[in-house]
Parts: sequence; C-alpha cells; structure tokens
Amino acid sequence: MKRNLLLTVVCLVFLYVPVFGQERVISGKVTSAEDGSPAPGVNVLIKGTTIGTATDAEGMYTLNVPAGNNTLVFSFIGFKTIEREIGALTVVDAVLEPDAVQLTELVVVGYGTQIKQDLTGNVAKVKGDDIKGIPVTTFEQALQGRAAGVFVEAGTGKLGQGMKIRIRGASSVSADNQPLYVVDGIPVTSQNQSSFTANTNPLTDLNPNDIESVDILKDAAASAIYGSRAANGVVQITTRRGKTGKTKFNVSYVSGVSTPTNRREFLNTEEYVELFMESRANTDATTLTSLENRFDRYGAGNRDSWQNPASPNYVDTDWQDQVFRKGGFNQIDISASGGNEKTQFFISGSMSDQEGIIVNNDLTRLGGRINLDHKATDKFSVGVNFSLNRTINYRVADDNAFSTPMQIIALSPMTPVIDPRTNLTSGALDVNSGNPNTNFPIYYNPLLDLEYAQRTTTIFRNLGTFYAAYNFTKSLSFRTETGYDLLNQHEDAYYGRETARNSSAPRGLGNDTWTQVFNYTTNNYFTFTKALDQHNIEVVAGMSFQESHTDYSDLTAQQFPSNAFKEITSAAKITAGVTEETAFSFLSYFARANYKFKNRYLLGVSGRIDGSSRFGKDNRYGFFPAISAGWVLSEEGFLSGNSVIEFLKLRASYGVTGNAEIGNFDSRGLYKGVGYAGVPGQSPERLENPDLGWEQTKQTDIGIDFGLFNNRISGELDYYVKNTTDLLLNVNLPGHSGFRTQTRNVGELENKGFEIVLNTANLVGELKWNTSFNFSKNKNKITNLQDQVIQGDFLSRAVEGEPIGIFYGPKYAGVDPDNGDALYWAKDTDGTLIKTNDYNAAELMKVGDPNPDFMLGLTNSFSYKGIDLSVLFTGVFGYQVYNGGGKFMTANGDFFDNQTRDQLARWQNPGDITDVPQARLFGANGTGESSRYVYDAGYLRLKTITLGYMLPQSFISKAKLQSVRIYASAQNLLTFTDYEGWDPEVNSDTYASTSTSQTTGNINQGIDFYSAPQPKTITFGINIGF
Amino acid sequence: MNKKILALSFILIASLVSIRCGDQLDLEPNNSIDANNALKTSADVEALMVGAYDALSDIDVYGGNIQMDAELMGDNGELFWDGTFVSPGEIWTKSMLINNDQAEATWLDSYETINICNNVLANLDLVTEDRRDRIEGEARFIRGTVYFELVRSYARTWTDGTPASNPGVPIVTEPTTTENAMAKVSRSSVAEVYDLVIDDLTSAETLLPEENGFFATTYAASAILSRVYLMQNNYADAAEAANRVIESGIYGLTNRYADAFNKGSQEGGNATIEDVFAIQINSQDGVNDMNTYFASSDYGGRGDIYIELAHFELYEPNDDRLNLFYDDERTGKWNNQFGNVNIVRLAEMYLTRAEANFREGTNLGDTPLNDINLIRERVNLDPLVVLTLDDILLERHLELAFEGHLIHDIKRTQSNVGDLPFDAPELIFPIPLRELNINPDLGQNDAYL
Repeated sequence: MKRNLLLTVVCLVFLYVPVFGQERVISGKVTSAEDGSPAPGVNVLIKGTTIGTATDAEGMYTLNVPAGNNTLVFSFIGFKTIEREIGALTVVDAVLEPDAVQLTELVVVGYGTQIKQDLTGNVAKVKGDDIKGIPVTTFEQALQGRAAGVFVEAGTGKLGQGMKIRIRGASSVSADNQPLYVVDGIPVTSQNQSSFTANTNPLTDLNPNDIESVDILKDAAASAIYGSRAANGVVQITTRRGKTGKTKFNVSYVSGVSTPTNRREFLNTEEYVELFMESRANTDATTLTSLENRFDRYGAGNRDSWQNPASPNYVDTDWQDQVFRKGGFNQIDISASGGNEKTQFFISGSMSDQEGIIVNNDLTRLGGRINLDHKATDKFSVGVNFSLNRTINYRVADDNAFSTPMQIIALSPMTPVIDPRTNLTSGALDVNSGNPNTNFPIYYNPLLDLEYAQRTTTIFRNLGTFYAAYNFTKSLSFRTETGYDLLNQHEDAYYGRETARNSSAPRGLGNDTWTQVFNYTTNNYFTFTKALDQHNIEVVAGMSFQESHTDYSDLTAQQFPSNAFKEITSAAKITAGVTEETAFSFLSYFARANYKFKNRYLLGVSGRIDGSSRFGKDNRYGFFPAISAGWVLSEEGFLSGNSVIEFLKLRASYGVTGNAEIGNFDSRGLYKGVGYAGVPGQSPERLENPDLGWEQTKQTDIGIDFGLFNNRISGELDYYVKNTTDLLLNVNLPGHSGFRTQTRNVGELENKGFEIVLNTANLVGELKWNTSFNFSKNKNKITNLQDQVIQGDFLSRAVEGEPIGIFYGPKYAGVDPDNGDALYWAKDTDGTLIKTNDYNAAELMKVGDPNPDFMLGLTNSFSYKGIDLSVLFTGVFGYQVYNGGGKFMTANGDFFDNQTRDQLARWQNPGDITDVPQARLFGANGTGESSRYVYDAGYLRLKTITLGYMLPQSFISKAKLQSVRIYASAQNLLTFTDYEGWDPEVNSDTYASTSTSQTTGNINQGIDFYSAPQPKTITFGINIGF
Repeated sequence: MNKKILALSFILIASLVSIRCGDQLDLEPNNSIDANNALKTSADVEALMVGAYDALSDIDVYGGNIQMDAELMGDNGELFWDGTFVSPGEIWTKSMLINNDQAEATWLDSYETINICNNVLANLDLVTEDRRDRIEGEARFIRGTVYFELVRSYARTWTDGTPASNPGVPIVTEPTTTENAMAKVSRSSVAEVYDLVIDDLTSAETLLPEENGFFATTYAASAILSRVYLMQNNYADAAEAANRVIESGIYGLTNRYADAFNKGSQEGGNATIEDVFAIQINSQDGVNDMNTYFASSDYGGRGDIYIELAHFELYEPNDDRLNLFYDDERTGKWNNQFGNVNIVRLAEMYLTRAEANFREGTNLGDTPLNDINLIRERVNLDPLVVLTLDDILLERHLELAFEGHLIHDIKRTQSNVGDLPFDAPELIFPIPLRELNINPDLGQNDAYL
C-alpha cells in the first residue's frame, strides 16, 4: 500500500520536476486526524514567505521551495495550524487536528465539489451521520429543522406519502415546486407515481442510512449549473463510499414504537343525542319519530344503545380508538467498507419494517447497495454505484374517501364496533338482504377496509451509475458518467364485496396498475484546476443528456366469485383497461469557472443551456447564467491577527434558473381518443402553445460567513430575493371556450427572505456542548397574474398581490345573539363593513395564509465521555390551516356526522354570546366555507431527542469490537401549538396532490381534511462497528 | 494499457452520445395525438362526432347530474337528500352558494360538449357527402340540446318576464382556437338562446335519418323540440313535435313499466323500443350518475337520495309503478350501474301530446284521454273517463318521476316549490364564481348578488 502511494508520488514528481537546481520540489498528502480522510483545500505556505499552494481534492500538494526555506505551514479553517520541517525530505505529509468548530468542509455542487470556505453561493449541508438512525420513512423528514430556508412538511402521518419541500419558498403557481433531486450526480425520479389521488414519494425507496451527505443548493450561484430545473433548489445526495484502509463492518439495529401525536374530542352518545334532538327541533327538517328511528338505525337497531345509559346495550364508542394504534419501527443495517489504494468499496444491506399509527398502513423496505471505485492507473479510474431496493407500501385510502381511517370519526357514538345482530364489524352484513348494510352505520365503516380491502404498492427501485475519469494532466481531467434510475411499481388493490358501499362494486373489485419509469442521464465534462502562486482557478465544462420514459398500464375488474379470489383472472367482468406511455428529455451544455486570488478574492461564473422536449418548438432552448463573488476579509491585513474574528467572508450572487416541471406535452395542441358505448371517437384535449417556454427565476443572494473566537461561534447570514417571471401558469380560460386551462408563460411572483445559521461551541473539553441554530423567513408574493384568480379547493386561492394559496372568502363574523344565525362580514352600499346572515352577500377577502412567517431549528448536542445527547427543536410559525372537514365535523349539528366537542357551545337562547351558531338540522347555519374554519397553526416541536452511550473501549475490545453505541431516541415527542385539529403539520393528501388530474396542488396548502397526525416515535438502537 | 487510446475512445463515446441526443428533444406524444393531425379525413370528423356524444354522456351533462339537479331543485318533500356532497345538498335546500361545484361542473362540461360540436360543424367539408347531413344533424342536435339545458338552468324561465331582455347564457358557435381562447363572450338573451336552440333542433330534425343506431335520429330532435316548445308554452308546436315521434311508429311502450329502465347499451340500436334517445353506458364506458345517487350500494350506488312518503301517497294503490321502488324508500329506475341513462322515453311524448292537445283543445294524433289511458293501462290502472289538466300533470309527474323533469315542469306550469313561486330566483343556478372571476361582465343571477 505504502509502495503504491510512493509510486504515485514519485510519478507525480517525475512528471513535474522542473530542472532548476536551487529549488526543491516538495510534495505530500494532508489528511484529517478525525477519520484519516484526505483534506482538500489546505493552505500550504512556506514559512516567512507568501509562496504557497493548496491541496487538491485528494489532499495532495506539490510546492517548489526555494533554497534556504525549511518550514512548511499547513493551515485550514476549522483545523489547528501546524508546521513541519522539510529537512532532507521530498515528501512531507501532514495530519490536521480539528479545531473547536468546523467551518470548513467539502460541499457537493453540480458536477464537482467545492470547499465551503471558497464558496460564493449558498449551500446547506446535512451530514448523513446527523440523520442516521432517525426513525423516518424518508430522508427528507430528517432534514426538518436542520437546514435554513428548507421547508419540509409531511402533510399526513400516513407512510410513504408525498412530501412538500420548499427551498426558499414556492416559485411557481402551476408548475411543480419541489426541488430537483440528484443522487451521486444523476437526477432521479422524485415525482409522484401513485395512481391514487394521494401522492407517493419515490425518494422513500432510498435508504436514509446509505446517505453520506445531503447538500442543498439554494441560491443561483450554486444551482444555476442545473439550469432549467434549479429554480426550486437542488438537493444533492451523496451516498457512502469506501475509504482506503482496513475493512470496517457496521451493524445497526433500531426498534421502537409510535403513537399519534394528538387526539381530538368528539361528542359522546349522550351529547350527540342531545345536540341532534335540539338541531331537529330547531328546523323541523324531519319528524321526531324519524330522528329516533335514525338513532335506532345507527345504534344497530337498538333503542337502548342511545336512550338508556343503564342498559348493557348502551353504546358509547370513541371511534378514534379503532383506527389509531401503536405502530412500530424496526430497521437493521449492515455495511462493510474499506479498500486499498487501488480499489475502495462500500456495501450495505438494509431491512426496515414500519407500522403506521393508523390501522392497515405499513411500509417495508429491503435493499442493498454497492459503491465501487477503482484506480486502473494513476490517471484512469472507474467506478460503479448500484442499489436495488424493494419497498412495499400497504396504503390506506385518500383523505377524502369514506374508507380513509380518519373519516371513522364521523360515525355516530351509539354505533357499536361489532354489530350485535351479526357479530361482525358494523356495516359488514345486513341480515335481511344478505348484503353489506347500505345505511348503517351512518357512513361506510372504514374498518371494513381493514378487513376486506387491500392497497399494496410494491416498488422495485434500481439506481445504477457507471463512471470513468481520466486525468490528462494534474490540472485537466475528464469524467463521463452514465446513470439510470429504474422504477418499477406494481399497485395491487382488491376491494371485497363487504366494501360495496364505498367501492360501488357489489361483488368485489380488483385493480392492478403497473408503472415503469426508466430515467437515464449521461454527464460528460472536463475539469481544469490550476493553482499559480496566488491564483486558483477551477473550470468545469461539459454536456448532459437525460431522457425519462414512463410506461403505465391499469386494469380494473368487478364480479369476483368470492373474496378468496383476488386476481383479475378470476373476475367475470373487466370494466376498464388502460395503457399509457410518456416521455421527456433534456439536452444541456454547462460550464462553470471559479477563480480565487490570494485566498481572499473569489469569483464564480456559470452557465447552462438547456433544451427540453417539453417546450414549444419556437422556444425550446433556454440559457441560465449566474455570477458570484466573495471577499474573505479575514485574510486581509487589517484583520489578520484579530483575536475575535477568525474568519469573515462577504459574498454575493446573482443568476437565472428555470422551472420545467409541467406536463410532458403541455405545449402541444392535443386530441385524445375516447369511446362511446364501444364506438371509437376523439375529442380536443388541449390547445397548442408553441411559445411555451421556461419559467425564469432571477435570484440575488447576499451573505456573510463568519467565525469568531477561534471559531467557537460561527455562522452564516443570507438575504435573498427571487423574482420569478414568465410563470408556467395554468391560465383559466373562460368556460365557454370548452377548455378549462391553458399552460402559458404568464405572471410573476417573488420570494424574499433571510436566513440565519449560528453554530456555537459553548463548552469544549471533556464536556462538550454545541448549539446549532437556524432561522429562516420567507415572504412569498404573487406580483402579477394579469388579474386572474386561480381557485384551489375550499378557500385556497392564488391572487395577485398576495402569497400563493391564501385563504380567500367570506369572513365569519360570529353569531347573532338574537337568533343564533351565523354572520359574515359584508360591504354596505357606502363601503362600510356590516354583518349579514346571507352567505352569498358576504364580501370575499383574505382570511388566512398557510405560508409560515418564519421557521427555525435548534439543535443542542452534549457529549461527555461516552455519553452524547442531542436535542432538536423545530418550529414553524405564523400560518393558518383550513379545516376542509369543518363543515361536517364542526357544523353545529347540521348533518349527522359526529361533531367536535366545541360544538356544545352552540347558541341556544336569545342573548347567548358564542361563536357556534344555533344547531339547525340541514339548516346550513354557518357551514359555508368561511374563516370559521380557518385556524392558527404555528407550532414548536421537540422533533428529535437522542441519548446515546458509547461503550468503553476496554469493555468492547475483549469482544474484538471497534465501537458499540447504544441509544434511545424520540421523534415528535412534544408539540406546542394552538391548533385545535390533530396536527398543525398538515396538508391533506387529496388536495395537495400533484397528480395530472389535480392542477391546484401548489395552491392547496395547509388544508386539513381528516388527515392523519404525525407519529410520535420512541426507539432504541445499537450500533456496532468491528 | 495504452492510455491515450483509452482516453480517446471514451471521449469519442461521450461525444457520440451528445450528438445523438440533439434530435431526441423531438418527442411525440403517445397517449394523445397532435391536434394538427387530428382532423384530416371524413373518418376523423366522424370520430370527433362520437367524441361529442362522449362529452354529452359526461356525468355533469346528461350522464345524470343535470337530471338529478332538476329533481333536487324541484323537490318539495318527496325525496330526501342524505348525502355528504355539499353541492347537491344546496340545490335540494334551494340555497345554492355562488361557489356551488355542480353549477361550475355543468357549465364547463356543457361548453366542452358544445365546442366539440362546433369543431364538427366547422369541418363538415371533410365529411363524405353521403354522411355529411347526418353528421351535421347530430352536431346540431347535441349543441341545441345542451344550450337548452344551459338556458333553463342558468337563466330565468321563458315565461318569467321578458325573454328578449332576460340574460341567458353566452353563445359560442365557432371552434375555440389558441387565438380566440381568451375571448370573453357576454350573455345572450334568453330569447336569443332559444332561437339558436330551435334553429339547431329543427335543422337537426331535417338533416337526421329516421334510424341511426343509438345515436340521434330525426325523432330524437323532434322529442327535444317538443320539450323546448313546452317550456315556451307553445302547445301547438309541442303537440306537433311529440306527434311526429309517436306517429313514426318506430317506438313503442315496453310491456312492463320496469322494462323501460336499467338496460345497458346494446350494439347497433336503442336498448328498448321505448327509448327515443338515451345516453349509452356499458361496463367499460360511461358513468351513470343517476345510479350513483339514487341506487343503494347493493346496486353500486351511494344511495344519497331517499324517496319520502309524500311521493308514495300520490299513487293509486295498484299502480304497477309502485313495484319499481325497493327498500321502501328508493326508486328502482337507476339500479343498473352500467345501465343507460334514459333521456327521452316514448311515454313522455304521449304525455306531452296529451297535455298540449288538452290545453289547445285539439286532438292531434289522438285524444288526450286516450293518450293518458294508454300510459295508465300499462301500469294496471283503470282508464279515466273524464280528464282534467291536473290529471294529466299528475300522470306526467308519476310516470316521469326521478328522470329529470321536475323543476322544468314546475316552472313552465308556473307552480310552486313549497313556498317558492316558479319565478323565485333561488330556483336558478348561479353563474359559476370561476366564470365571474374571469369575466365579471357576465353578471350574476339575482339570488346570488
């Protein structure tokens, strides 16, 4: 091994020895004492001179040392500066000890890496080790609170569902607002592939524990190299790789339980009967007898169930008990990594099994990865990444279905869980008809789904990359990489005849859907790096091509002989069959240059030309440039030796990025094939827009990076303005055109904000206490929609002059004390606001905003000897949630859904002062969509708390182990909020959907609709290295 | 290893890939086709015509919602809406909000149907001569029918005030293109819309053949025309139009009342001899939304609508039509999840002819008494000896119950819905909020201002 290294060095020396007698050529390698990894970007200076260089990405350096100089100084931000005597040596290696707080690290940017210290753009890095072992379904959940400006929302507590990620706000009204995800240099399929309305998240297929780092490119300087798809930011995921050295094995196991973060209170039987008796009496909408018969029906035909608390037949069911459960989390990971000078490897295998907090919702993932790097010669290296995962997601129905578990709360409390007449789940069987009940319980009982339906999504996911790199000279290298992402998904659903009331299939329904996405990319680029005295230059230039092809087929059948038959081959009637094919492609040329002078003046330029199949023939290519500059003040003479300021950098960037996430053929005029009773036909589907082009975001970012007091306090401050023009907007067409929308480049919006990152080493020494704090504030504003109002669901709107997705509609004005009428604010003829009981007369206005004012993350980590404790709080503040289910569950007894308990405060007598209108059966008293159902929802959450203990070496070395860590961790342990619903982190899967049928997923934010709360998970884990 | 060869070869591969990629930006859609290639031949336009039927069969047009909404809007205690969907509930309680989803969906999907018809009509020159009349007739039949449904849902009824000045709905008769898509068309008067409807339907009547499978025939056009005239209280023309359908001899009453319903689409023709026009549904195509709301889950529906005692009390005890109800509270007219949605049954023509003749004092075709007794006979009722207008209207009410006639019959006979008179603004749909957001000049209907 040593000999190989020597050979390499000798080789390099041989190539570069200039033949000047009095100078010596000294080379060497600088590594970090932490883990022995190469330390790039280390300043190597000849003591007493200004002559120096910096180490390359491999930690190597070469320096001409004039005669008479005998000492080298190695310095690097975040590490202790050391000196080495040259003496007679030609190879001088150095090992750097870390300083108190690390400010410097490598960040992954597009088509390369950069040293954070030299960065002129804004990149947030989250290390894999920080999120390892956290019990989450997908790694984005673990990013919550760990990166400034990165908003992560799970929406519901269902497993494997779509996530909302917003980097520095939403930049589009109609096109996708999710960032671009790049795994080891290859863009991966991250868009929803679900055939349900509710989205799934293809990133769930990645094992979070395989991740070495997540680098989030936020500003234009960092992201513009990804051009047309960078406006929402770019998330670069780097997987773990092997390192030269002894083979390390690592086994970790984590296991735990989860429960819902919150429950709500609903009426019990006595309260329910009282409220609806009153509600009926107030409207006479039905007779008392009819109401009592209804109660009997809901009570499984037994009057005692609701009328006679003393009876053993009295029923008082809390339906939440039936759908919430104690879930579980189990994951085991095994990995091996290591290698020699020529070949390094990382191999991992993982198995995880998660049980959701709502019944019938499970997710298992099984998979493995191999990452291999091989140096064929000192100039030529090749490598391969290969991962294969199988994810099985046992899904539950969309939020808006009667069959979704959470809608069970609408059932009446006098309804027994088990129907005493049949001893089956209530609703399963009507003894008179021999079929499932058609009107008992009040609605379809979601528990029937648990017993008689399945929705299983099985995904095979294979990511593979091959690369080859060639170093022509020490300065110039070429890399070609081709990667593919193969997603193969099978959605297998069966609904037994007991589910007929929900599935509309009296004799069983089967649905089988296959989706295959083959997405491949090739990147080919040159990298040139050169350090000349005080000039450092790096240039990257190349091209990239990506094509993604999706095949889809779907088959639906009814009429199954019995529930024992679940495959469509056994069905008597095929009711639908679909095959579809679609594709998109991108062809791109990119370049970036970074220049550094005297280690203190930084300049970066980048540009990308992108062409995409998605855009109109007349507008197919776009150009996305960026420019940035930095000034490291701490390197200036006036600050050198300053005892307070260790590091100080000002930076600024400006650039253009784009958004291309629209339908694959939105620019085309299209006709679709249709059928009518077996006769083929066609009809117009979409109007042509040959001019359709990119949505452009021009972003300016100004930032300061600093390190104070020997870097015990360090941080970043950023202010940015993102102006998006030529919005890819689904413009509403007048309905009489026969079309609903057309995608046009219309409108503008803006995101402005600032971010604060602060890291402090409060205590150093044996007891260490580090604090990491981030704060971000983003203000979104639609500046131009050409006066359009784009409607989402409920009150969600995109309106000019306001942030996207504000709640816009009638403002609730409480209850008329005289008669119990619900009141709204209306405008009088002279423009003054008056109260009215006429909903249609109410003035439409902004009544809420689902976009948070600010968010923060606060991590405190302590370590003492082998004990470590880490506490992460996350907070999202200043936003509102709309309860779309409010008009059913918080409706003062308007219909027979069980009501939230606060409805007991309804108006009853003249003079009553309350916000809950008089109960009126079918009276629609206050049930129209209005600010009545808008709730404040900010929250502070104890997101993650982990207590770990590293077993002493003396103890484990007997067992020939290297390290053993045991830990206990809790996720979402505490939530502090004013929100009255289940969970303030909410966006209903039905309405947040970005499936093709739903174009308002961006506008629908903060909508609660029987959405499952987040899980509170407590886990115990062990990590063994040997 | 020769490094130079190696290096060269992989640079070569990379550049080859990059050259090959250039034309790969020209991807063609697979699920749909480019609009520029859609209409080239006669067969293309004929296929587009089928597309218009498909659009007409949408749940928000004639797939059920227009008919169900007419029943909910006209109801006064004979049925009970027990569903959670808010929009139908608002229609039932006559308290529609301006953002009623159904008002929006019917509007949008109706105009989608109209636009397809306009495209057919603009491309008639492509159609082979021997089929051109039929295709034109079908397009004008559907367009006229849909405008008729729009004007009687979203505007004041013909007999309410002055049709020539009452705002109707926007009239569009040209295909929508990229260029004119944003054009804001204002509302034509009720009279203008009726003029278009009558012009389309009378032309269709002339152009269409007597037999045309399950597609529109000349008699389907006559039948809808009879409805239009009836809405205008133009009884003479209504009787004439209904009479043309009856006298054709093509249609007949099914032996049993129940046989007129729940038949799925059959290849080549109407599913029953009684169907003059029906929306075709089979297990693979189309959704019968009448089934969705009226049928219990035993028959694949949601069962949101119950029939109340007040309705049952209207029947004579041995009326065979009573046997079509089940569970004591549901109509059995819509029990086939994959059954057709009947639009015009011959029985309606007899009822229309009888009423129109009765009001005019004529006996075109036959006497009103005979026509009514024909309907009664089939359902085991004794013939009437003396006939009053109320008898005719009651017979019509029972025979056509839950088929989408209720509110229109109430409006044209100037009856009440509970306390609401026929011209109450609450009985008219709001112009969808979405449309007013785009074009405030459309103006909102009185109840929603």
